[in-house]
Amino acid sequence: MDYYNPILIKEMRTRMRGKRAFLVLTGYVVTLSLILGLIFLVLSKNAPSSIVNQSGRVLTPVLVYVQMSLICLIAPTFSASAISSEREQQTFDLLIASLARPTTIVFGKVGAALSYLLLTLFGSLPLIALTYSFGGVDLGDVAKAYLVMLMSGVTFCSLSFLWSTLIRRGVLAQLTSLITVIFLVAAMPALALFFSALAGSFNGGPSTTFLNMVDLLMRTNPFAAIASLIPGVPPIPGAWLGGVPVWICQVLFYLLLTALSLFLSYRRLHRVRNWI
Amino acid sequence: MSDNATSEPMIKLENVIKYYKAFPAVNDISFEIGKGEVFGFIGPNGAGKTTTIKMLATLMLPSEGKLTIGGYDVVTQPYEVRRIIGYMPDSFGVYEDLLAWEYLDYFAALYHLNPTQRKRAIDDVLELTDLTIKRNAQVMSLSRGMKQRLCLAKTLLHDPAVLLLDEPASGLDPHARIEIRELIRELCRMGKTVLVSSHILTELADFCTSIGIIEAGRVLAAGRIDEITEKLAGNVMIEITVKGDTAITLDVLAERPEVKRATCDGRTIHAEYAGQADEIDELLEYLINRGVRVLSFARTEANLEDIFLKVTRGVVA
Repeated sequence: MDYYNPILIKEMRTRMRGKRAFLVLTGYVVTLSLILGLIFLVLSKNAPSSIVNQSGRVLTPVLVYVQMSLICLIAPTFSASAISSEREQQTFDLLIASLARPTTIVFGKVGAALSYLLLTLFGSLPLIALTYSFGGVDLGDVAKAYLVMLMSGVTFCSLSFLWSTLIRRGVLAQLTSLITVIFLVAAMPALALFFSALAGSFNGGPSTTFLNMVDLLMRTNPFAAIASLIPGVPPIPGAWLGGVPVWICQVLFYLLLTALSLFLSYRRLHRVRNWI
Repeated sequence: MSDNATSEPMIKLENVIKYYKAFPAVNDISFEIGKGEVFGFIGPNGAGKTTTIKMLATLMLPSEGKLTIGGYDVVTQPYEVRRIIGYMPDSFGVYEDLLAWEYLDYFAALYHLNPTQRKRAIDDVLELTDLTIKRNAQVMSLSRGMKQRLCLAKTLLHDPAVLLLDEPASGLDPHARIEIRELIRELCRMGKTVLVSSHILTELADFCTSIGIIEAGRVLAAGRIDEITEKLAGNVMIEITVKGDTAITLDVLAERPEVKRATCDGRTIHAEYAGQADEIDELLEYLINRGVRVLSFARTEANLEDIFLKVTRGVVA
């Protein structure tokens, strides 16, 4: 039987039809370009020539950090109203009454969101190529940074989709998704700072346990993972996972979160008749 | 269809109850629909029609009781049920950005039709619903009636044996309503088993073979129209048209003990006759002998409206 995911196809058709998709993509690339251009302008006017010749070392992390920030803001919106919008548009009953399995719905909806995320990441590749041409950048580190961004985007889309199955109203689901992302990327480092301060307050010096907790929390953070790839940035002190690169810990942690979100979404849809 | 389906009714509900919190929206209903029947599910708003249909469409679990379609249990075998039903809800959305054929292609793929089957099914249903000309139109550009027909087309893509249509003509203008009625008639001719709900009796009267009357979550009567009519209509209704003063005719009718009730509507008198059906000619003879100038004397069949008014109390859930 020739079978493909019709939900994925339908989502991509509706997503790419109309102006919104192109406006978002264009706005994304334009924003990145403007920020890069501004920084390069400042560097070229004020920095010594040795720095300017290796300006890739400054521009690439800036580009990656700005992208990561944008992904935190826009990735949740890709799938936060995946199910809630179907309910609001009164198309959800027709979908459930068909032969669509929960796996088809989950992978179709999340897959469509990820396709758009990939499109946005690909959209920035020419800019990365430009910063690479300025020198001072290791391609391997760039690839790892993109992996961190991709994994983060995948996780945010999956978590947003889960909220979409749990919350009836699309706007509320989007808000909750955004709050979840903020918690993951901002609250965790804030907690780490708190433990760090607490560790420093002990008379005998910082407690090892607290330091390890700081280390663990920071290893879940995508910004910390990207920072660990920048040459010259000191490693986070900690004994538990000291030998494992931060970006690997972050990718694995987010992989776990993604798997959990997708599993819970599947379970929720599998029991749709209990809450429809 | 399951192995038990050959002798079993196509749709069967046994002691079905559905609670919304503590409130029984559907309260111990049981009825059966045979293969090829067109079952009109009648009741006022809030009676429990949509809840019952949603349970049959596997969208909701009953609190108690059993529902089967084609021998498959809707609770334990939902995918087998979905394979043989086509469901059209009373209020539905469409994907406005898709083209009409894309909309149908999407659902055809959800029903696991391969590309060749999808193309053929789409052509067939577009022709059946008279939407071929709108094949490449964007769904948002279609009128309300066309969207309704498109949804009906979607319902037919996988050639289901059973159709569950919840108020298929709601919100449509009279012309569009007639179009939908004709479509349903055509589906009946194709041998499909159809459960169609409405709170407008005249819509269903033309093509239903059996009916179920529901009020406040309870089925008050269910079965073939002729059986229910005979069972519930009670006395024979007679329509008499006279020349001259109708008051005199009413006085004459009042003399007959077998005439229970007589009302006047212009020149026409509606009388309820409680006597033997084959002795009704004696009443006509009596009227003529008493000098009443009868222009017409006819027995009228109780219609759905009469039955509905007789059976229901006007209670809203």
